[in-house]
Amino acid sequence: MINSTIAKLALQALLGRRRFYLLLAFPVLLIGLVGLVTALTDGDAAWEIVPGLGYTLVLPLVAILASSSVLGPEVDDGSIVYLLSKPVSRYGIAISKWLVALGATLVAGSLPIFVAALITGDSARAVALLVGAAVAGTTYSALFLAISAVTRHAVIASLMFVLIWESLLGNLFTGIAWLSISQWGVRIAHALSDELPDPANLPWAIGASAVVTVVGVWFAGDRLRSFSLRGED
Amino acid sequence: MSDTPQIGQSRPGVIHDLGYRHYDGVRDGTPTIARTLFVTGLRHAYGLGRSGKSKVMPFLLLGMSVLPALIVVGVVVLTGGSALPISYADYTNQTQLLVSLFAAAQAPVLFSRDLRHRSIVLYLARPLAAPVFSMVRWLSLTVAVWLFMAVPTLLLYLGALLAGIDKSDQTTSWLKAVVLQVLLAMMIAGITGLISSVSLRRGFAVVGSVMALIVLTGVITAVQAISADQDAASAATAVGLFSPWSLYNGLANAWDAGVDTFAPVEGAWPLAYALVAVLLVGGCLLGLVARFRKVGSR
Repeated sequence: MINSTIAKLALQALLGRRRFYLLLAFPVLLIGLVGLVTALTDGDAAWEIVPGLGYTLVLPLVAILASSSVLGPEVDDGSIVYLLSKPVSRYGIAISKWLVALGATLVAGSLPIFVAALITGDSARAVALLVGAAVAGTTYSALFLAISAVTRHAVIASLMFVLIWESLLGNLFTGIAWLSISQWGVRIAHALSDELPDPANLPWAIGASAVVTVVGVWFAGDRLRSFSLRGED
Repeated sequence: MSDTPQIGQSRPGVIHDLGYRHYDGVRDGTPTIARTLFVTGLRHAYGLGRSGKSKVMPFLLLGMSVLPALIVVGVVVLTGGSALPISYADYTNQTQLLVSLFAAAQAPVLFSRDLRHRSIVLYLARPLAAPVFSMVRWLSLTVAVWLFMAVPTLLLYLGALLAGIDKSDQTTSWLKAVVLQVLLAMMIAGITGLISSVSLRRGFAVVGSVMALIVLTGVITAVQAISADQDAASAATAVGLFSPWSLYNGLANAWDAGVDTFAPVEGAWPLAYALVAVLLVGGCLLGLVARFRKVGSR
């Protein structure tokens, strides 16, 4: 199913020129801030930043950037039709591109969260955060790939999901934790370390993450299968 | 060519006739062209005059930022309160996520599309020069962002007046908020416009703007909260210089417009905040002019 040429091209699109620096800026910002706060204050002030900033902003934004840059530009300028005219399974295309986006999300999103958590001290909770961030990163990248395959405004639509649904409304209504990818990640991390909150129940968090991931990648392939090119709007 | 006065033909190489048919009547000058471009840009920022799908995003965001104002007014009217539970300036602060998203989403509409499709050369070959063109685009975005902030606060103000809350207080507070909103809109439009004119892919322009407006503000708020917690009030105030939203909040706090900050902005700090805000706008405008000069000369 996995096509190495498509994966290689997607990787080039992801790391090409200035995009790489934008992708790099997030981990640098997170680790730099946590390092600074740890150095300047005593107590656990720095630890509170890691899930707060890492899970709700850095991880989803890295996932949005990665997922939309493996598929977005091609859909945007229409050159995706040249790829789709090749006798390659559309699901194969979706899976290859998703794997690249997933790798970038894990390296530039989940790993820095782990490093930042390590800086604050305790390694048990850092491992818990890494596992949670890996699950949430996987789910995010699949969901955002599916959104990229549907609309040209994928970045804004994904941002609205993350910033308005998960952050703004999630802070007002606790029930949204049941429908929030970052909260599923936090719940899975809670199973490994009690220092994290417990927003939903564990089987739900695992099951929902798995379902969204599988359905997201399948849906992206399905959209590519019945792709129609439209003009600029 | 005719001997009618050629207004606005000061630069060499300006194309007036695009071919098909010669025109030798009186031409409108630069102000008219600039005004038309401004109105078109303002309409396009809200998706007016564009396809139906491009109206969805701006009006969805506007609806989301107006809804809480309507709810607040409804609650005040029904419960007969004697004051609004939130000040006008603070309402804009509370809905900052929506304002930032709106600016990030609509700045590429005004700044990226002409550059990406190279239609900018056609614009700049006409009587409007690159600096004026970029200024007019920026003005369109500024007014669009300002309207986005002003509409909900105007509804709040009208609701407060209709509910019979003390008029003079409300008017002063609302006018302060409007002035602050204008300054904030100038900063936000400058930053997002500059980012969108440099990064031509819509996705990257949006993520870059979100990074500059939302992520940076989140980081600064976290640092301010920690500094205030550690009794380093001047550090909390100094950090506030680095984000348009913290500048806005600091100025609103100093001007008594009803926004709470982690540490009170007082003494010479308001002057520093105002200077940084003006310098930020000026720097973004210089950057925009330089950028459009460069693409226009290629």
